Amino acid sequence: MLGDVLLIADKHREAGEVIIDFILKNRKPKMIVAISGESGSGKSELAHVIAKGMRKHGIFAKPVHIDNYYRIHPHERTEWRKQHGIENVVGPGEYDWDTIMRNIREFREGSLSTGPCVDLVTEQIDQLTTDYKDIDMLVIDGLYAIKTEGTDLNVFIELTYHETKKAQLVRGKEPQNEYRMQVLEKEHQEVQALKPKAQVLVGMDYAVRMV
Amino acid sequence: MLNDKFTVTTKHTSAAQVIVDEVRALISPKFIIAIGGEVGSGKSTLSYALAMKLKKQNLRSKIIDLDDFYTIPPLERKEWRRSKGIECIGPDEYDWDKINRVVDDFMQDKESTMPCVDLITDYVDTITTDFAGVDVMIINGLYATKLKQAHFRVFIELTYDETVGAQIFGGKEEMTPFRKQILEREHQIVQNLKKGSNLFFDFDASLDKYHL
Repeated sequence: MLGDVLLIADKHREAGEVIIDFILKNRKPKMIVAISGESGSGKSELAHVIAKGMRKHGIFAKPVHIDNYYRIHPHERTEWRKQHGIENVVGPGEYDWDTIMRNIREFREGSLSTGPCVDLVTEQIDQLTTDYKDIDMLVIDGLYAIKTEGTDLNVFIELTYHETKKAQLVRGKEPQNEYRMQVLEKEHQEVQALKPKAQVLVGMDYAVRMV
Repeated sequence: MLNDKFTVTTKHTSAAQVIVDEVRALISPKFIIAIGGEVGSGKSTLSYALAMKLKKQNLRSKIIDLDDFYTIPPLERKEWRRSKGIECIGPDEYDWDKINRVVDDFMQDKESTMPCVDLITDYVDTITTDFAGVDVMIINGLYATKLKQAHFRVFIELTYDETVGAQIFGGKEEMTPFRKQILEREHQIVQNLKKGSNLFFDFDASLDKYHL
């Protein structure tokens, strides 16, 4: 995403180091690492730290935020969700899985790949084209990232929206954000349901453990 | 740029408000604000803060980072500069044809394709964006104020020593003697571009800026 503000802290770096070690010991060509976690849990920060850390080991890793891949445009999403009912539609089905899988295939093939890139400043969706020829590793992060088929390592961050700032920020606003709280709760349920897919768990205190 | 990270502080939001107040009376459709200044002085951060302020005025802005428009890509640049020598460093390192094309596309409300450096891989991706409905272009970079089409120019001051300090703590590149020479040369050129700017800001590179 363009204009997304990442706040990288020591906990992200420390957790990243442990995960990088594990990745290096279990390396594969064209490896895909996936990171799932609730809103505000630090997925993007962790992906950033891991991808960046790989460079020191001579590995070109690209972070891909698959929260860029919603089928419904941000402007229309609230209306669409209200229309169809939060309970019915909020979840992994909101992703454009066709494009996600196509981009992953293009990474594996080492070819040119075009995918969506949300610009949070203009609130538009740009198209980002990457040449995957020399990219060795993909680090994909998103609410439902570990649901992606064919990943080599799945990381799950256990923090829920209650612990992260998200809940406080939302509660601090107008009561209209009843809607936002309902969405957070449904996303929470959907994300937690993915936990069994993880091989690496990042705890509440950001301590890393293998399953 | 992809994967750039910065911290927005009150000095950026205050400066952004000053810019908004200054341009309010001047804004015309398809307005271009150029933000130039030293390496590490806060151009990207100020651009972001400014875009947020303009949004509150119902103006949609797109930020263009001229660091994406170097003719020589990041992975080749160090070697290229070493072989050509210090004198090659400066505004001619930009691909002005590409920059002007993107500015044209903006003025004409068209779709535009431009380079986008991924700061993690150091590879140059491509971004395609639609300028239809974008009111303001915020174009930032060392030599951004050189852009002839800019309607308003902002310059961020920083002394040379502060720039070096900013680089070390910014952690974007390691500090070698050659890097120091490059910074000094860029600093001289940037200082010469100061005149012609409408607004000047003096941000010190205080350390708290880099605590994330």
